[in-house]
Amino acid sequence: METPVVERRIRWASFLIGAGLLIQLGSLLVVHPLAFVAFLMLGCPLMAAGIVLYLLSLVS
Amino acid sequence: MPASAILLFCLGAALIALFVGFRVHFTRSREGKMLAFVALFALPVMAAWTGFSEHMDRAESTKFCLSCHVMGDFGKTLYIDDPSFIPAAHFQNNRIPRDHACYTCHTDYAMFGSVRAKIRGMHHLQVQYFGTVPKPEDIKLYQPFNNRECLHCHLGARTFEQASAHTKTPGQLDTIKSNKLSCVSSGCHEFVHNVASLKDDTFWKETP
Repeated sequence: METPVVERRIRWASFLIGAGLLIQLGSLLVVHPLAFVAFLMLGCPLMAAGIVLYLLSLVS
Repeated sequence: MPASAILLFCLGAALIALFVGFRVHFTRSREGKMLAFVALFALPVMAAWTGFSEHMDRAESTKFCLSCHVMGDFGKTLYIDDPSFIPAAHFQNNRIPRDHACYTCHTDYAMFGSVRAKIRGMHHLQVQYFGTVPKPEDIKLYQPFNNRECLHCHLGARTFEQASAHTKTPGQLDTIKSNKLSCVSSGCHEFVHNVASLKDDTFWKETP
């Protein structure tokens, strides 16, 4: 049976959020300016994209 | 919150988010929808906020500032065995917290001073990776060191207010307090980091 669109979006959202949080976690393991950049430029956008996708799935 | 708790929180939030992704059919039920909201909205936002605030705290640490190669010599000057060197005397005698040594003197004690310090830090990062990194001895402050940063701690202290050197002429203390007479560049406390002469200096103990 094909997965509904909403569930596909939620799945993608969870993977994006999971990836973003894991990058944020990795960045917290080291004290270095690049870790902060990775947190801000990779972790946060991935997580934000996931949250937006999830919220879109709620209203679609 | 301790760093280890933040790490665990981020890990937990990531695992719960991924769990929802792998078991997406759970979201068909009412409880599953509630779990999805917590896992895909509430927890990630909280984890990101705590992580961001931890990074902000770390950005004020001496280790963070000295993690760039070009700052290494400035870190060494904190160990110079000469009390006339202001940063060394402050660092070695615990007049400033050693784990926040750079930030304590180089932040602006004014509104949004901390934010401005962070923005300067981002500029340093841009120069470090996309610009031409100057030699340590060529690095200068953006603007002359403001007495306000010294007075943040020294104002009202007896050793400052009653020091003979500060009161030998009438009104001298007021010119210091109003930043008209600089603490560090008027010939009084002029030995600061002086990285150019580092090879000739002796050290209090081995630099890290």
